[in-house]
Amino acid sequence: MKISLQYIKQHVAGIPADLTDQQLIQLIGSRLVEVEGVEDLAPKYQKAYIVKVVSAEPIEGTHLHLCQIDAGPVTADFLEPADAASTAETTGTATPTIQVVCGAPNVHAGMLAVWLAPGAIVPATYHGERFRLSVRKLRGYESHGMLAALDELDLGTDHEGIIEIDPKSAHPGDSFADAFGLGDLILDVENKSLTHRPDCFGLIGFAREVAGILGLPFKEPEWPTLTPVQELPLQVQTDPDLCPRYSCAVFDLPDTRPARYLAPEAIFLAKAGMRTIDPVVDLTNILMLETGQPLHAFDYDKLVAVSGQTVPTLIVRSAQPDEPLQLLDGKTIQCTPDDILITANNVPVALAGAMGGKNTEIDPSTRRVVLESATFSLYHLRKTQMAHGIFSEAITRFTKGQPAALTLPVLAEAVQRLGVQPLAVVDDYPCPTTPEPIKLTVQDLNQLLGTAYSASEIAETLQNVGFDVRTAPLKPTSDQPAVPPHSAGKIPKNASLRVTAPVWRTDIHIPADVIEEVGRLRGYDNIPLTLPTRPFLEAEIDPMFHLKHQLRDLLSDRLGLHEALTYSFISRQLLEKTHLDPTDSYEITNSISPELQCFRQQITPSLLDKIREDLKSGHRAFGLYELNQVSQKSFGLTPERTPVLRTDLGLVLLGDFYALKARLLALFHDLKLPLEYAQLTPGSAAAEQYPYLEPAHSAVFTHGDQVYGAFGEIRHSVLTQFKLDQTVSACELNLDTLLTLPSLPHQSFQHSKFPAVERDLTLKVSADLPYGRALNLLDQTLAAAGLYYQISPLSIYQATPTDATKHLSFHLRFSHPDRTLDAAAISAIMESITVAVSSLGATVI
Amino acid sequence: MSKLENLKAELKLLNAEYAKIKTLPPAERGPFGRELNAKKQRLLAAIARAEADAESAEVAPIDISAPAAPNQPFPTLPRGTKHPLMTELDHIIDIYSRMGFDVMESGQLDDEFHMFDSLNFPEGHPARDGYDTFRTAENFIPPAHTSTMQHRALKRYQHRLAEGGQIAVVIPGRVFRNEDADATHEHTFYQCEGVLVSRTATMSDMFGVLKHFFEAYYGESLKIKTQPGYFPFTEPSAELLIEKPASLAGKGDGWLEMLGCGMIHPNVLKTAGIDPTLYRGYAWGGGIDRLVMLKYQLDDIRYFESAKLDFLEAF
Repeated sequence: MKISLQYIKQHVAGIPADLTDQQLIQLIGSRLVEVEGVEDLAPKYQKAYIVKVVSAEPIEGTHLHLCQIDAGPVTADFLEPADAASTAETTGTATPTIQVVCGAPNVHAGMLAVWLAPGAIVPATYHGERFRLSVRKLRGYESHGMLAALDELDLGTDHEGIIEIDPKSAHPGDSFADAFGLGDLILDVENKSLTHRPDCFGLIGFAREVAGILGLPFKEPEWPTLTPVQELPLQVQTDPDLCPRYSCAVFDLPDTRPARYLAPEAIFLAKAGMRTIDPVVDLTNILMLETGQPLHAFDYDKLVAVSGQTVPTLIVRSAQPDEPLQLLDGKTIQCTPDDILITANNVPVALAGAMGGKNTEIDPSTRRVVLESATFSLYHLRKTQMAHGIFSEAITRFTKGQPAALTLPVLAEAVQRLGVQPLAVVDDYPCPTTPEPIKLTVQDLNQLLGTAYSASEIAETLQNVGFDVRTAPLKPTSDQPAVPPHSAGKIPKNASLRVTAPVWRTDIHIPADVIEEVGRLRGYDNIPLTLPTRPFLEAEIDPMFHLKHQLRDLLSDRLGLHEALTYSFISRQLLEKTHLDPTDSYEITNSISPELQCFRQQITPSLLDKIREDLKSGHRAFGLYELNQVSQKSFGLTPERTPVLRTDLGLVLLGDFYALKARLLALFHDLKLPLEYAQLTPGSAAAEQYPYLEPAHSAVFTHGDQVYGAFGEIRHSVLTQFKLDQTVSACELNLDTLLTLPSLPHQSFQHSKFPAVERDLTLKVSADLPYGRALNLLDQTLAAAGLYYQISPLSIYQATPTDATKHLSFHLRFSHPDRTLDAAAISAIMESITVAVSSLGATVI
Repeated sequence: MSKLENLKAELKLLNAEYAKIKTLPPAERGPFGRELNAKKQRLLAAIARAEADAESAEVAPIDISAPAAPNQPFPTLPRGTKHPLMTELDHIIDIYSRMGFDVMESGQLDDEFHMFDSLNFPEGHPARDGYDTFRTAENFIPPAHTSTMQHRALKRYQHRLAEGGQIAVVIPGRVFRNEDADATHEHTFYQCEGVLVSRTATMSDMFGVLKHFFEAYYGESLKIKTQPGYFPFTEPSAELLIEKPASLAGKGDGWLEMLGCGMIHPNVLKTAGIDPTLYRGYAWGGGIDRLVMLKYQLDDIRYFESAKLDFLEAF
């Protein structure tokens, strides 16, 4: 929203003379609304002057005029002394003039116009590719700058002719900016933080706040009154749930011939980013900008015709499903039951709050209008806004909840400013509401803010912006007088205050709302800073947060993997590529693109999708992992009926099963997790769950019957989908269930005081004997002998892939807890190994 | 004469001094002897160093600038990296933890009740539009702010109030807004929420806690200021800005918008079963991504979710 600082300053009395614009803008930014930008209009209108056209002679064979202009005292700045003499000669006048070629049909001698001097930038081009004027020849005539039309000045769309200036408002040589209030700063404020402030969507409301911020009482505008009139027939019938108040007036249109002179209204509208259209529309727009109350005009005669009755009744009602209505912009919409319609005896004539209907549009033949000033349910209008994509200045204000109290006063102001005599005035306000007083103690306020404001400071702050403040025990019957303004010291320090919000503050309901007003207007930055005290109890860390922290340390710092983040939403295609069931994903109905449609079921697919790009940028052996949430519809809902979310570790590694296994075993060892692993069985539930893994080269993590995740090599067919041609391994681990696992107990420190024996051992075994079986057997044998021992793998040797046997080599280190092992004892141990492994068909070599 | 020979000659002289002991009066013998012993210790140590130096002169020097000796394999170390967003989040949580805040995490699929209803957004209120939420076919919402967890935090830690303590919790999480990604906008980003409820909470405490946090975070003292904000779930509400810390590189100075904050609306407490006449609280929430972008002068927010190793390896 654009706010003219000049308007604000004109409407707040008593602004300290030494307060700079910058300081004022800073205060607005810190106490009312974020100021996103400030535009200084002055540079845009630099070198734009009011001039008098002394002569305008047609240039033969063209539509152009050769003009001599008098720019008053500034003329001399633009003329060489010699030129001055020569123009004085050519025009035969004593006053030196400047020559300008002008193409506008309305240029004529004697008029005042706006001249953009050489060196000026055409204001309409100021924010784009700037066009700077100079002295140049047109049809052989020297032309200095140009005479400007409304659109060139960026004040409207009109390009019919140059604008004419009322001789009563300016003199030749005056700066155009100074004469028309364009030496202004326009604040661009952020609407979002005013969502709850309908009053601040009008300049008056904004000015009131500025007064409050400066600690100045705001002088409220005096609204004219309007009494019901029924010279012409018109009735109104509203539904208070849809339209709390509907006020309207019928009158004959005043003379709306286009004004001859540039009107201040055009400038006012331009500052708000709006354009002048015609006097009635301009007035409704100006009142909306000032008061925040939108107005709408219907053609009265068309309304009567549409109604088909002699006494037309404006009925406000909900739309029927698919009820059609042609709007002013020519489009026909299909209404929804959430839309509110203004109807003439049930025939729709406007989409309430949004746009008028084509059938009652004001056109050049309109003689008589109905001017509507109403307020509607913001909830309905919000839906209308969304359903039909209408984001006008009016609906923006209506959806903030304009107060019912202002419809009639603003209508009265419109009637007065237009200078018309109302022929009918109807004000339908079936359930008038008045703001309820709110009880507040000085202590409540200071305890919430952490301040020490006195009752009179609080009262004054609130009164400045129109609140009614009384000191009173809150009894409905008590009729205490209002606190007199500036009553410092007169109110008891811990008084109870009875505060009533002004009618335009539809957002004030509870004490905290009032406290916010006081804290904000007096400046949150003036609140002293303190720190809370707390008992010395240990803070709780979310176990998942802690686990992720540990995993990150191990995976990145110890195992050399890279932590990545990828989107939670993925494409259907990515699910299909990894053989996951897209129908098990929660789907976003309003997604930005098909790439971001499905909530992911696992992390691994997202990471697989990233490998190719990293390979293309030159990275070779790497591993990526991510710790993040996943969900599937089949996980079901939580007791609070939201989707069950699971946190997974997803990991991809350029390497084979064993490269990944070594890392994962190291990880679980460090985490002290009692996880085991087993072959992923094709067709098993686990295999279904991780369908992108090649079961022949994959394993599941288990503990008891529970599966915690799986790891292994990606299926060749899946790799092809991702255009990858090297072996990639992946792991998907369910961290939620991992958190339920008991930690491995701390193992007691075992160390014999007697020397340890070291032996290498090679077993010749059948090629298909699982390594784990041989290892288990060694383990059992040494344990059975009551030894302290370590078994380290040395090698696995198989001469050719088709050989029937392989050699498994181990390094053994063992000691006895109570005695030195002598040669006989060592032989006995090695012999027991030989015997034991023979049960596997293995021989010691 | 070499340094070593000099030292050895000195030792010889010193040894000769011992003979003098006998000539001294008994009372002086002890101190004199102790001084000689100390001198001798120092000389012997110097001689040992000089001998080692003489040996080293024979050792051929290596090229310390090389990663390995010629013909030797280069030593390899695993070099993994942590995501800068996660590292920052850890840092932030570490500070809050030390200040005494509990930590809980935010979920990535939530519902209308937690996202809006429990936070005092009237049903169908236009304020809901400001959050540009995504929705699933089942009308679940990938949350647009970590405030979606406020209600849960208030319920989960309510027992602390009954025990005479306070609720103090921070909630990091991933949030989503329906907007197209460009260099400065992401539809997926991280926030951290803070909630504190006690019998004595005040707005001045809130500003004090937040100022302290940012000072701990940037390791320097900072000025803060506010601008008004509007959130249906806090009353009063404000936006907190900090003065640009000296430790942040990059152009310009001035103020950085850090987070939205305010005193928890009584309706939010009431919905969570906390009596707003007995307890008051404050809450705040701010983005993490921008903190990281400022820290490393990142010019494109989309790096974060790209999994590009060129980016990840820089951290």
